[in-house]
This record gives sequence, C-alpha cells and structure tokens, in this order.
Amino acid sequence: MALRMWASSTANALGVSCKTKAQFLPAFSLSRCFSSVLDGLRYANSHEWVKHDGPVAIIGITDHAQDHLGEVVFVDLPEVGGLVSKGGSFGAVESVKASSDVNSPISGEVVEVNSKLTEVPGLINSSPYEDGWMIKIKPSDPSELQTLMGPTEYTKFCEEEDTAH
Amino acid sequence: MAFAVSPRSTVIYPTCKYSSPPSKPYSRCGFSISCCSIDLQSTSLASNISRRCELVDLHEELVSYRKAWDLQKAIVKEKKVLIETNQEFPDTVIVLQHHPVFTLGTGSSVQYLNFNVQNSPYDVIRTERGGEVTYHGPGQLVMYPILNLRNHKMDLHWYLRALEEVVIRVLSSAFTIKASRLQKHTGVWVEDQKLAAIGIRVSNWITYHGLALNVAMDLSPFQRIIPCGIRDRGVGSIRSILEKDQAFNNSTRNEMCNADDSLLVDFAHRSLIQEFSEVFQLNLEPRLFYSSSSTDKE
Repeated sequence: MALRMWASSTANALGVSCKTKAQFLPAFSLSRCFSSVLDGLRYANSHEWVKHDGPVAIIGITDHAQDHLGEVVFVDLPEVGGLVSKGGSFGAVESVKASSDVNSPISGEVVEVNSKLTEVPGLINSSPYEDGWMIKIKPSDPSELQTLMGPTEYTKFCEEEDTAH
Repeated sequence: MAFAVSPRSTVIYPTCKYSSPPSKPYSRCGFSISCCSIDLQSTSLASNISRRCELVDLHEELVSYRKAWDLQKAIVKEKKVLIETNQEFPDTVIVLQHHPVFTLGTGSSVQYLNFNVQNSPYDVIRTERGGEVTYHGPGQLVMYPILNLRNHKMDLHWYLRALEEVVIRVLSSAFTIKASRLQKHTGVWVEDQKLAAIGIRVSNWITYHGLALNVAMDLSPFQRIIPCGIRDRGVGSIRSILEKDQAFNNSTRNEMCNADDSLLVDFAHRSLIQEFSEVFQLNLEPRLFYSSSSTDKE
C-alpha cells in the first residue's frame, strides 16, 4: 500500500497518471505486484525508462529494476559531454557485490548527470522515476523513442520475463 | 541493465554427494567431470549436464591481473557480438593464480586501505566489478566464469549464491571443512573467517570477474587492507583452517596438512572444477587457444 501511495505522489509530481498491477499474485511476489510503471515514459527491455522533456530526455532505471536489484550501494555515471548510443552502456549500478551495466534507451549527448546519486545511491531504490534519475541527454534521434515500449507493453514484458524465469 | 528477474527465494541446491573426500586425493585426473572416486549412482546431475563451457586452465601459473582482466573483457566482447548475431556459444571459465595485487571495485573506498596508495606494497587496480578491496596472490585460486546468464538464470542474486555454493561444496567434499554463507556478507565463511571472496560484473547478462578461494597462501597482505570493507571479521585459508584443526582426529585431513602448498592448490583446483561443473550443469572442455604466452607473466 505504501508503495502505491508513493507511486501516486511521484506520478502527481511528474504530471502523469499511475498504473499499478491490480492482480492477485502469490505472497512471494508481493514486491512485483506493487512495482510501478508510469504513463508518459518509454521503456527499454533492459529496464531503463526515458522521459522526453522538451530538448532533453531524462533516463533512469525502472521501479521493477530497482526492486529486483535490491539496495543500490554505488552508481557509476558518465561524464557530461560524453555520447551515449541506443542500447549501449552508459554506467553501472552496484548492489551486493554485483555491478551491472545500465544501458541508454536512446542515443545522444549527456548534458547532465545526477550527482546526488554519488552521495545517496539509494535514491534509485526510493525514487526510481524522480530523485533517482540518472542522466539527461540531448537526443540525437528522437524517433528512437518510438522503438521503445509504452507502459502497457512494458508491464506485460515484465510479467512475461518474471514468469519465464 | 541486468538484475534479478525472479523472486529472491532460496534456491535449493542438490545436497553434497560426498560423505568423505575422494579416496585418492593426490592422484591426477583430467578435466573430465568424471573425476576420480565419484559415486555415479548419486550424480543424478551428471546425466543432465549438456551445456558446453570452455575451460581456460592457468591454475599452475601466476598471471598478471591486467592481462587476465584484458582477456576477460575480450571474451565478453566476443560473446556480446555473438549474441547480437543470434549465434550460440559456450560459456567460458578461467582458473588461475595472480601475482600479488590489491583490487578495488567500482565503488570501493580507499578508506579500506591501511596504506597510502602511492606507497603500496603491490599494485592497486580499480576494476569494474562489485565489492570492496581485496587481495590476490600466489596460493589463492581465482575463478572467472564468463557465463551467459540467459542460459542459466537471469538473476544476479542466484548467481552469487551459486558461486558461493561451488566453494562451500569444494570445502566440504575435498577438505571436510564446514563452510557457510553470512547474510549481507557475500562470500564463503568458516566461522568468522572469510575463505572466499566474490565480486562480479554483468554486462548484457554476460558475467565476468568472479571468486577467489584462499588455499595455501601468505595471508599477511590482507592485514594491509580492510578486506571487503568488513572490519570485525578475518580472512583465512584452507591451509590455516586445516592447521587450526589439526588435532581433529582425521587421518585424511592430517595428510592434507602435511602436503605442500602446490599439492593443496592442485587438489583444491580439481574439486573447484568438479563442483563448478555440477552447480552450473556444464561440461568443461579445455580451451587451449589462451596459452600462458597470451597472459604474460610479470
């Protein structure tokens, strides 16, 4: 319930409506039941989200991703001015002795990175769509956004992935 | 990014099939998983093992950390290209020993070094693996599995537990040492001493870096660091545990205590390969392409 309320307030802040999975699931998957997927964002199958906000696109990892990762203890971010390409790694998140690549859903130039994550990497867990954003880029090809998944498709993708494994 | 895609429930591994170490601990055997003294009736896993894994076995050599790191990255890059072109490929595992070196993970803090980096007794290398500072050196077996987790379980927590399971089984089956996991402290422990450290990197579901098992080595370099950032626990080795328990009335263990370091490493190595093969259900095939000349000694 707390996650739904958090997701709702986050959604209000972002000006989007919030969808949560309203289905009965076994107790062990309670966390998946409350992973939020927001309208207005596009999603990569490697579980990053992107929000096109005027001239920049904001990128982070999804609530589903942070939930499965567990506590994030370190975030590795690129330099401002660097280039990222669609599907290419731009950094890493570390949890529990495992460091994982984070990939950019679209190509562009990094214009800002979230330096708060250096001090408080846990923002990715507590606020994956808001305070836990990772980089802002100037997209080089905004049409790449159309190749990404919308919220409904991403929700279904997560369900299928979880079921398969 | 790669992460757990299944609930972090406990995976039940098959129980260890050995009640005592193999009867001829120092006889040599090859890379085949049908190593000496296996009770075939109890190896129900063996008949299911079918996926291939290349074994790059450099365990009798001291390999430059940087060269081994470059080798891993080259293999990961090779596998990623094959994924993009939808080609099947085997997993790879590298086993070796390193020259003395301290390594840091992506987020490692230098506060866990008890010396000035400029005056370090050994090289200090910052890598892209998870985890804090650790030491590698002769007498420690290092294993770098480069696995495509799509063929196993797309779950990093499972993978870490599986690596721990490999070592726990080695310690139990080959040395009758009871080891365990500690919640929140990834690695393999015997009471309050860590015998194996683990730190991995995952890129597009391909793993690299891995684990380091202290067999018979000089442990004093660990005193120059706070290993893995854990202040209130120590580091041990198979040798140190066996010697501590030498009063234990077990002739096989006493025999091991009297074996020299290289024999102990060799014995641990064979068990490590065996248990890795079983836990990950892989058929190991020696890959001779990566010879010692491609991993120049320092």
